[in-house]
Amino acid sequence: MPLLPFLFITGFFFIYPILRVIIFSFQSNEGSFTFSNYETVFTFPYNQGLIGSIKIGLYSAVIAAIPGAIIAYFVESHASLRFKRIIAALNGVIANTGGLPLAFMFIAAIGKNGAITKILKSIGFDIYAGNFALGTFNGVLLVYLYFQIPLMVIVFSPAIGILRRELRESAASLGASTRQFWLRIAAPLLAPSFLGCLLLLFASGFSAYATANALTVGNVLLTPLQIAGLLNGNVSASQLNLGKALATMMIVVSGLAVVPYLIIQRRVARWKSV
Amino acid sequence: MEVSVNTFTGKRILFFTTAIYFALIFIPLISATEYTFKTSVKGSYSWNNYRWVFEQSEFTHYVLRSFWIAGLSVIVSLLILIPLQTWLAISQSKWRSFVEVVSLFPLIIPVVAFAIGAQVAMPLFVQDSVLELPFLYAMLSLPYTYRAIDIGLSAIPIKTLYEASMISGATWPKTILRVILPNTRTAVLASSALGFALCIGEFTLTSLLHWDTFPTWINDVSQDSVLGAITLSVISLLIPIVIIALFAFLLTKGKEKNE
Repeated sequence: MPLLPFLFITGFFFIYPILRVIIFSFQSNEGSFTFSNYETVFTFPYNQGLIGSIKIGLYSAVIAAIPGAIIAYFVESHASLRFKRIIAALNGVIANTGGLPLAFMFIAAIGKNGAITKILKSIGFDIYAGNFALGTFNGVLLVYLYFQIPLMVIVFSPAIGILRRELRESAASLGASTRQFWLRIAAPLLAPSFLGCLLLLFASGFSAYATANALTVGNVLLTPLQIAGLLNGNVSASQLNLGKALATMMIVVSGLAVVPYLIIQRRVARWKSV
Repeated sequence: MEVSVNTFTGKRILFFTTAIYFALIFIPLISATEYTFKTSVKGSYSWNNYRWVFEQSEFTHYVLRSFWIAGLSVIVSLLILIPLQTWLAISQSKWRSFVEVVSLFPLIIPVVAFAIGAQVAMPLFVQDSVLELPFLYAMLSLPYTYRAIDIGLSAIPIKTLYEASMISGATWPKTILRVILPNTRTAVLASSALGFALCIGEFTLTSLLHWDTFPTWINDVSQDSVLGAITLSVISLLIPIVIIALFAFLLTKGKEKNE
């Protein structure tokens, strides 16, 4: 039965590790049941890390969703097949860019000695006049948009297919203006997908590690960085299983966003096939 | 008449939005590329950084290492998924929705949390071998590889093909190799390319489990030579862009000919 290898491999390499994390998160150093790891999660600096991660997920999702949706709409409805494929391929690469390569690109562009920084300075606009820096919360947020916008284009593009030509034509034949078409037909049809994609983007920004790790030096409080610090032994905690409690919190928050996204996706796919 | 005016403005807006989009994508990339040609003398450019990178013996070592780990991970995924998904499609088994849900799990679990899990759950003999990476990578890419194969399988009349093959006396493995695979070639290729690309750039899990691959090596290089690390970053970004652009270009060319 071809099911057995799948069950064995996903069970052993995926489900089992996740269950271990969750179980350990409720254990004290001696192995007895406790909530104390979670009590620590809600004290400084870990609570601030969680808030910071939720904020960066939320802000980067909201800022990236609108331009991403606009690009997805125009590419899906007006581009040629070849151009669509090129954009799709490019989005695939850029959405998966992260870590040091991404950090370096932004340092080269808008770092203190970056090319764009210099060009802007020469025309009298100094982006470093205020307190902007790439290694801060706002800097990380800006860099996250680089993969969040293409991600939005990727996940929102399939939803555009729901706006079939017949819809527009029948609306027009019933006397609807373009404005009415968008407000009364397109917006309600696209709203669930848009919301779903927003949730997925939130999860993506919330969970991202490599880029923040490359840009910051411990000055920005984010849960993935704190977990990595505990895992690498850079930060010592008296509670051995604190990292697992933080990881479990991340799974819960991420699950609260991704599960509704998956349900919405499924519903929309069903509408489209009707 | 109105429709044509609409598409005309639509095309114009398409042009402007994608122009801005391309600028935002490529400006950081071009800035980084400019950096890689810089020398210590202000305003002069050379190939020195590229020469330095290719002179490092670790360069080929880590490129090859990342390639074989990613390749193995793709093989693991295909070996598990193709027979399974073929079977699910043919038998209409009630397991189908279960497998689909499991294949989506990795989207829910942040990679950092998964890394902790792998560290506490894998037995020592697994943790001691770099061979754990292909399996863990296969889990991370599962949502994407599963979906790509699913699209390919739902596009062919799989039940008919299967019955025809069985009536002709073929065995299960033969049916998959000779009938299913050739008919889902594009989907299998897409699934492999996607999985490969994800694995080759994987950094979070790899570095948290203290393994060395090409992406983590870039991190190490950055400690000694920032320009060297920027050069490596640019190389690691340009190669997939070029490969995928070529792939997309060739694929549409083939399609147009068929039509």
